Amino acid sequence: MLLFLSRRIGMMLVTALCLTFIVFALTNLPAKLETLAKTQAGSRMTEAEVASWIERNGYGSPMVQRYGEWLGVLPGWVRTEDDGTVRGRCVDRAGTPEAAGDRCGILQGDWGFSTRFRETVLNVLSARLGATGWLMMWVLIVMVPMSLIVGVLAGMREGSRTDRTLSTLSIATTATPEYVSGVLFIALLASSTVGLSPLFVSWGWATGPVLFQGNARSALDSLTFSNFTLPVLTVALYGMGYIARITRASMTEVMTQQYIRTARLKGVAFGTIVMRHALRNALIAPFTVIMLQIPWLLNGVVITEVLFSYPGFGWTLYEAAINNDIELLLASSVVAVVVVLITQLISDLGYVWLNPRIRLS
Amino acid sequence: MDPLGWPEILIRIAQQLLPVWIAMVLTFALSIRFRRRLGLYGKLFDSGVGMVGFAIVIFWLFTALFAGWIVTHDALSQVSQMRNALPGAALPSPDGRYPYYLFGGDALARDVFSRMVMGAREVLRIAPFAAMISFMIGILLGLPAGYIGGRLDTGLTFLANLVLAFPVILLFFLLVAPEIQETPLPLVMAGFLFLAPILFVTILLNSRFFTQPAKRNLYVGVVLAIGAWAYLGLVFGADPTGIWAMSPNLLNVFVAVVFVNAPTVFRIVRGITLDIKTRDYVAAAQTRGEGPWYIMLWEILPNARGPLIVDFCLRIGYTTILLGTLGFFGLGVSPESPDWGSTINAGRRLLTVYPHPALVPALSLMSLVLGLNLLADGLREESLKD
Amino acid sequence: MTKMTATDTRIHPAAQMYASEVAAGTLSRREFITRATALGLAAPAAYGLLGLVAPQAQAQTPVMGGTLKMQMIVKAQRDPRTWDWSELANTCRGWLEYLVEYQRDGSLRPTLLESWSASDDAMVYTLNVRQGVKWNNGDDLTAEHIAHNFARWADSSVEGNSMASRVSALMTDGQLAANAVEVVDAHTLRLHLNAPDIALIVSLADYPAAVVHPAFDGDDPVANPLGTGPYLPVSYEPGIGAVLERNANHTWWNAGNGAWLDRIEFVDLGTDPAAWVAAAESGEIDLNYQTQGDIIDILEAVGLPRSEAVTASTLAVRFNQEQEPYTNVAVRRALMKAVNNSVVLELGYSGLGTAAENHHVCPIHPEYAEVANIGHDPAAARAEIEAAGLGDYEFELISVDEAWQSETCDAVAAQVREAGINIKRTILPGATFWNDWTKYPWSATEWNMRPLGVQILNLAYRSGVPWNEAAFANAEFDTLLDQANGIADADARRVVMARLEEIMLEQGVLIQPYWRSIFRNARPNVHGAEMHPTFVVDVVNYWKS
Repeated sequence: MLLFLSRRIGMMLVTALCLTFIVFALTNLPAKLETLAKTQAGSRMTEAEVASWIERNGYGSPMVQRYGEWLGVLPGWVRTEDDGTVRGRCVDRAGTPEAAGDRCGILQGDWGFSTRFRETVLNVLSARLGATGWLMMWVLIVMVPMSLIVGVLAGMREGSRTDRTLSTLSIATTATPEYVSGVLFIALLASSTVGLSPLFVSWGWATGPVLFQGNARSALDSLTFSNFTLPVLTVALYGMGYIARITRASMTEVMTQQYIRTARLKGVAFGTIVMRHALRNALIAPFTVIMLQIPWLLNGVVITEVLFSYPGFGWTLYEAAINNDIELLLASSVVAVVVVLITQLISDLGYVWLNPRIRLS
Repeated sequence: MDPLGWPEILIRIAQQLLPVWIAMVLTFALSIRFRRRLGLYGKLFDSGVGMVGFAIVIFWLFTALFAGWIVTHDALSQVSQMRNALPGAALPSPDGRYPYYLFGGDALARDVFSRMVMGAREVLRIAPFAAMISFMIGILLGLPAGYIGGRLDTGLTFLANLVLAFPVILLFFLLVAPEIQETPLPLVMAGFLFLAPILFVTILLNSRFFTQPAKRNLYVGVVLAIGAWAYLGLVFGADPTGIWAMSPNLLNVFVAVVFVNAPTVFRIVRGITLDIKTRDYVAAAQTRGEGPWYIMLWEILPNARGPLIVDFCLRIGYTTILLGTLGFFGLGVSPESPDWGSTINAGRRLLTVYPHPALVPALSLMSLVLGLNLLADGLREESLKD
Repeated sequence: MTKMTATDTRIHPAAQMYASEVAAGTLSRREFITRATALGLAAPAAYGLLGLVAPQAQAQTPVMGGTLKMQMIVKAQRDPRTWDWSELANTCRGWLEYLVEYQRDGSLRPTLLESWSASDDAMVYTLNVRQGVKWNNGDDLTAEHIAHNFARWADSSVEGNSMASRVSALMTDGQLAANAVEVVDAHTLRLHLNAPDIALIVSLADYPAAVVHPAFDGDDPVANPLGTGPYLPVSYEPGIGAVLERNANHTWWNAGNGAWLDRIEFVDLGTDPAAWVAAAESGEIDLNYQTQGDIIDILEAVGLPRSEAVTASTLAVRFNQEQEPYTNVAVRRALMKAVNNSVVLELGYSGLGTAAENHHVCPIHPEYAEVANIGHDPAAARAEIEAAGLGDYEFELISVDEAWQSETCDAVAAQVREAGINIKRTILPGATFWNDWTKYPWSATEWNMRPLGVQILNLAYRSGVPWNEAAFANAEFDTLLDQANGIADADARRVVMARLEEIMLEQGVLIQPYWRSIFRNARPNVHGAEMHPTFVVDVVNYWKS
């Protein structure tokens, strides 16, 4: 077990290392650095000014060396300005050359500085991950029970009318990407001119001008039913269909098993069979799928957070990408890798725990 | 002229789609007539879900194919006074053009119906092709990884997991950025990716016919010649006849989409291969002394086709959604392009006042993906009955 | 107009002249106000010359207190003189003030200056610094501080310092000239220019000209909010928002005439107008920064009426004359002929402006001259493109991804296509677009308004200047432009200008489809927040009922 875990963690480190190197290489292309210089120091700079900015801010050295600096295995760049002040990767962070260490990178616990948000990457990411944490929590609270119920109901009696309806419905949700459903939700529920809101207001069923808010920025200060429902629904809907279908498949398989048939022949009530005997075995597959679904939801989270301007992790990733915020992007990809691999690990461990017939080798 | 009412709009649209209806009726009539001789495809017509899915998919396929005849206006031309025109609105001065905007006009006074039709062509030109290349790469790498195993398997699996650990959107932002186009990177990647189909077909034929050198040389030679021609055109834009060409932007999108899809296909193929290689007929082929590529491509692959065809359908749908995502973030193909993702994104700004420019492509995209999923479902059901 | 004294009683001869031009109808009233106040006339006196009474800005009595929420992009801060977005300045206007301010009616209002005057040849300016102004650290504002700011503005060694080009008449070798700024006494400065510059004071109202304390050294005015204004930043998060609150420990020089609000929240909702509409619908914002196209009507429908500012801002769809195939003047002119500017205005900008004439001088500029335009003739355009051997050539028009700009370019492209010429469109994200904005063969650039016609021509079309994105180099044009820069009389300058405009058309420099009006939507209980032609968000004067 220990060996298994340590191998997994080792794998995670190697993956993260390769991944960050690729991201580093792609964000440090000369054209990208030029973009960065212009967003940082003025969009209408001349080429000479750009070159001097790149040189003065430590982006001039070879790419591999700077990757080493970011990791903290190589000493950070230091240069003395014409007026005698000392600047450098570590000096700028610590404030004075004396206080600065030789190296300042991931290994020293320094995740760098976000050029987009003018804040340390650690502060930016911890705040944004918190925001996304809330979103994901509510998505899972809505998505998991709903999809399991739909899947179990559909899978109980294969081929029945309930099954056909629910299956088609869940296929339909998987065919509705977030950028479609989010847009439809806003038009339907969060507009004072079209959709349901004006109708409800005219009937006197709703107090405000709109039923739900089509913008989740205020959820950052206080989460309410009105400002968080639409983003949660948007993310949950797309994932729901898939989990429901896996649950259905798993359920239909279990329902054809010998012991269920025996129980039915013995005259045990159908509800009891489902609740007592079928459910536990039918939920093994969906559990692993739900865990694997989490990193996959990240895509939806980016789209949804951008659509509803909710500053979470997905929104940060988007902002970092369009502004070529190198160190923030690197840290974000590390977070993404860790999430992917940890959910994989949990899914494997959970599979074993739920299914005692399998032992880890 | 007065604007049209909804019944008339629908009748006129049905008229415009006439070539599609004819083609669909023919396809269904022939397929159902000969379904016993058509293998898995024929069995599809035993399943209600599968038929519905198939009908939706070929509807869009024929729409894309006959788009030139169906469209009422040029998808890019703007007509004065038709900004955000409602469905069925009449043109102020037709001058020989079709006198109505059947689904109305968008924010730039272009015909929504024609853009939807041309959008189908745009989407169906990229999505199935990208899915196909992803599959060839996945198969080409997944078969040996599963069959031979060992170091090769460990290495390839690691690479696949590496790509899969990337958030897809981050990958898009990194790969489809305009700055990347200035570097040789997309060209190099395209060079590798487009090599896969040529390699695939060459190995396929070579492993089958290597006992008959004359036949083999002919087949392989033809494939290599056509392959090299297409390759030159697609990757280097150096096709003298201009049949094979792809703009750098499109190439970039294409590369990114294939790059995202191929590792998943690889994992599926590898998993199936691991399962099938223990079967008796593989052992029999090994004792016959067949080469490893022959066994992989002519023994294992045909027996893995069921799940692969199902996944292929799903993957075209997923690729369609991915292309839409690219459009949503403004990373799409050409900016005026009528592809559905970009039109949804452009239309959503005015959604609360003029819903039609966004709703039409949104419903089209949903229906196509739904059709592909239903088709996959039908195929899965029928292939399980085998 | 708040309390203000004009200490300079002598009326500049040019101002008298402008007044007669207004009377003759050759100078618009708005332009007269701008130009007369730029020469040192206080606004009431300027109105007086026209025989008018200065308008009272506020009919209602402002109410103290309240929180205002405004949608606006909040970008990472940097040194004010390097600001390249009005939004950067707007978040700091609560504590950083200017020497003069450009008003909605086109007049200049003295802020940290009490008054100023210019010599008749526009070579010497005398600035009288306002007395009794305190910095929020307790220091008194003195002429030395203003001289320090001039030195900062004139330092062209700072990357991206856009003030340097505005005060170039005070500079030698990229720095402030040794005797250019003379401190006469604690509250008087004299500027000695090395070339006449009729636009100097107007430039000091531009958003990068915020006045900072000599102790301000860093590049972040939020981290070190040392200023003279009545507010202080409470929080500042790029991409998310910024909050200003009244500075309780500071006596503002103009107390009682502004700073009505207790708290101002800027909410950054990104560039997607759909998000602004959603936020307005759910009551998260009281007003937005700038609205375009159909969104204006949508916001009006949800209860935020519009306010409009007419401007000389435009979109320059220019050809780079160093790049193929635009080296050929016939090609450039043919493409101009293919485009009908009024249709582009209708389809690309919802008709919210006036059609322009492809020479980047606006009828509201004092020296505007009417010249024969190039004319819309698609058939001739097609024929000329074919004659140039480009019948099968595919032109490419590049734009940034901002909606109104790309829609305008789409409309231009559609017109070109209609003429039977092959064209494709490319849209680049903002961060990428600005990398090469001066080098694209054919692209569109947004140009904000400048009060004088010559200012734009100097910035963008003189041979070899950094922002000359058309790579336009024409000796006759440069000579005439130099000549125009030295003519204070607009009528006399108009004669030269007519020829300058003709050269622009003869040489096919750009397609300039329209002059845009700009809009803002605000709730009816928000006052003093009407749209400003140069995007100033003067929160000090906003109030809420």
